[in-house]
Amino acid sequence: MQNRHAHALAGFLVAAALVTTAACSDERGAEQPPAPAAAVKTAFPGLTPASGEPTLDGLSQRHPAPGTVVTVPGPFDDRFDFTGLTLNRDAVSGGVVVTSDVSEILELQVVAGLYDSSGQLLHTGRFVHHRGEDGHDHGAPEERESFSIAIPSQLRDRVVSAAVGVPVLVNE
Amino acid sequence: MSTRIRTRSAAAAVVLLAGAVGAGVVSSTSATAAAGNNGRIKNVIYLLGDGMGRTHVTAARERFYGAAGHLAMETMPVVGQVSTYAVEKKSGQPGAADFVPNYVTDSASAATAWASGVKTYNAALGIDAKGKVVPTVMELAKQAGYRTGNVSTAEITDATPAGQMSHALARGCQGPSYSEAACQDTTVTGALLPTSDIRVTPIADQIARNGTADVILGGGLARFDAADEKALQQQGYTVLGSPASQKVATRGDLAATRGSKVFGLFNTGNLTIEKYKREHPESPQAAEPSLPEMTSRAIDLLAGNNGGGKGFYLQVEGALIDKRSHANDAAQTLEEMKAFDDAVKVALDFAKRDGHTLVIVTADHECAGFNIIEKGTFTNAEAAAPPVNTDGGNTANNSTPTRPGGNVKDPSRSTGIVNGAGASDSRNFAPATFRTPDDPATVRDGSPEASLWLTYLSGNHTGADVPVFAYGSGAEAMAGSIDNTDLFNIVGRALGLAG
Repeated sequence: MQNRHAHALAGFLVAAALVTTAACSDERGAEQPPAPAAAVKTAFPGLTPASGEPTLDGLSQRHPAPGTVVTVPGPFDDRFDFTGLTLNRDAVSGGVVVTSDVSEILELQVVAGLYDSSGQLLHTGRFVHHRGEDGHDHGAPEERESFSIAIPSQLRDRVVSAAVGVPVLVNE
Repeated sequence: MSTRIRTRSAAAAVVLLAGAVGAGVVSSTSATAAAGNNGRIKNVIYLLGDGMGRTHVTAARERFYGAAGHLAMETMPVVGQVSTYAVEKKSGQPGAADFVPNYVTDSASAATAWASGVKTYNAALGIDAKGKVVPTVMELAKQAGYRTGNVSTAEITDATPAGQMSHALARGCQGPSYSEAACQDTTVTGALLPTSDIRVTPIADQIARNGTADVILGGGLARFDAADEKALQQQGYTVLGSPASQKVATRGDLAATRGSKVFGLFNTGNLTIEKYKREHPESPQAAEPSLPEMTSRAIDLLAGNNGGGKGFYLQVEGALIDKRSHANDAAQTLEEMKAFDDAVKVALDFAKRDGHTLVIVTADHECAGFNIIEKGTFTNAEAAAPPVNTDGGNTANNSTPTRPGGNVKDPSRSTGIVNGAGASDSRNFAPATFRTPDDPATVRDGSPEASLWLTYLSGNHTGADVPVFAYGSGAEAMAGSIDNTDLFNIVGRALGLAG
């Protein structure tokens, strides 16, 4: 136990160094090592920050036939299957069955393009699954997630087809 | 003693820090050399089996080497145990008035503990529980001039490898795209952060641009895109395969590379389990390198380009132990344990040749309550009632309630061995049975005659302490009971990073 306590002390001191030396970095002598906080790169020149929610290029490129729900490519298409894709007056719905993992789904987004009879994209809707705040006591791992993306009321008379895809998928 | 330490003021801690560092805390040359190392550490190889509890180690030993055998990790001279608890969001550190522990960690919180020396909440990476960015030991090693490597059988953006080379409010912010739900956490930050803030920058974008690891080997190519490939190349990485075209790298690519900085992802997602590759040798997945192969190559690349003799820091994760334990798939769990232990052997063999390498083998948490039960017995999950307790009136042992009987196997709940004839019955909980080298040659896996009977408690992590094995100077610091945050300091001291 004495050994453990000695390490606890040392660990505490190092942690304190990490927190405190950053604030003092301007006062260091030239011969001193760089501040630990400087080891973290917090800015990436050339990387454009995100300006909104993710979408898929395919939504603007598809012109699905009336009465159909088609799929568009996304980065994780080899990790899941769509099931039961349907379109009615109120919503486009279906299910995602993850085939690559049996651990819990942390993040899932399904985007849906809604089209008129000429194949013009009228609207993009989104289903978002985000693991809740229940810590890790979350029951059995999930492989299936049902989704339903509502059609805006003002478009219900015009939407005749849909396309869906998955831009976000993370399993634990 | 720890309570006294934790209640010191920050100012006093800083004073102590100056004295302690000045007195030579950073030096490992005076430490007792463990098992032949000569005392001067230049390299640290840190291997962890994700989800690997003590029973995972015992079961793998018995499965592959028999009761009297040893895994490579069990030959290491120093053994200890590591507490792994996490904390809740906005919690203070242990000893603080606002300290709120969470007894069961996830891989992100655990990775942050050993990588940055702080307790944090489940899902957080490279930040404390209040959202403050904290440096990682890999970043500090890189800053100090060490060569660095990060190897995993998971997506390289997954929690364990990401814990060394990213800072994120939420482990789900992996990329390739930002999303508010996956990346932001206003419970911690109070308001949405600008998307330029590193803490909500997709982990793949960070890894591709921060240069924290010189050698990056694993899975998760789908998290990266053409812009990431360009950013990697601009930093001097040899990119195996192509994020732009989503062409995965292969074992051959890895063997052929001579780059000083190498980025190689061998699957769009997690790497493939060893059992599948063994049973499908002609499949594309069989072209993925194994964990020991990646470990060996990473050591070659790091030690062969050793930055003027400074040395290297390498983290290696056997990720699929956890992922297959979540699934209660003992057969695959055992094979992933074997692959991980083979990677440990690679590291140990190098350390013994090198003489200046500290090898640490541990885990982030236990997964699924893995257990070895006596042959022919059953678990509570299969029983009609808990074990008998008829001593309710005995004043020396008067547990209540009194249970006079009923601890028999319930045939309506579980009919038999889960990986044998009973595999087709979805009601079966356990056990999975496996032959071992101690069994006669005629004994088969999944039979009642097999001697190794394995069960799971759940499909989730548990709060059990995990083992740590160590070799090399400074290894003695891991004997006994330590906390996962202590590992940050142990590695930092071995590499002289605290000074």
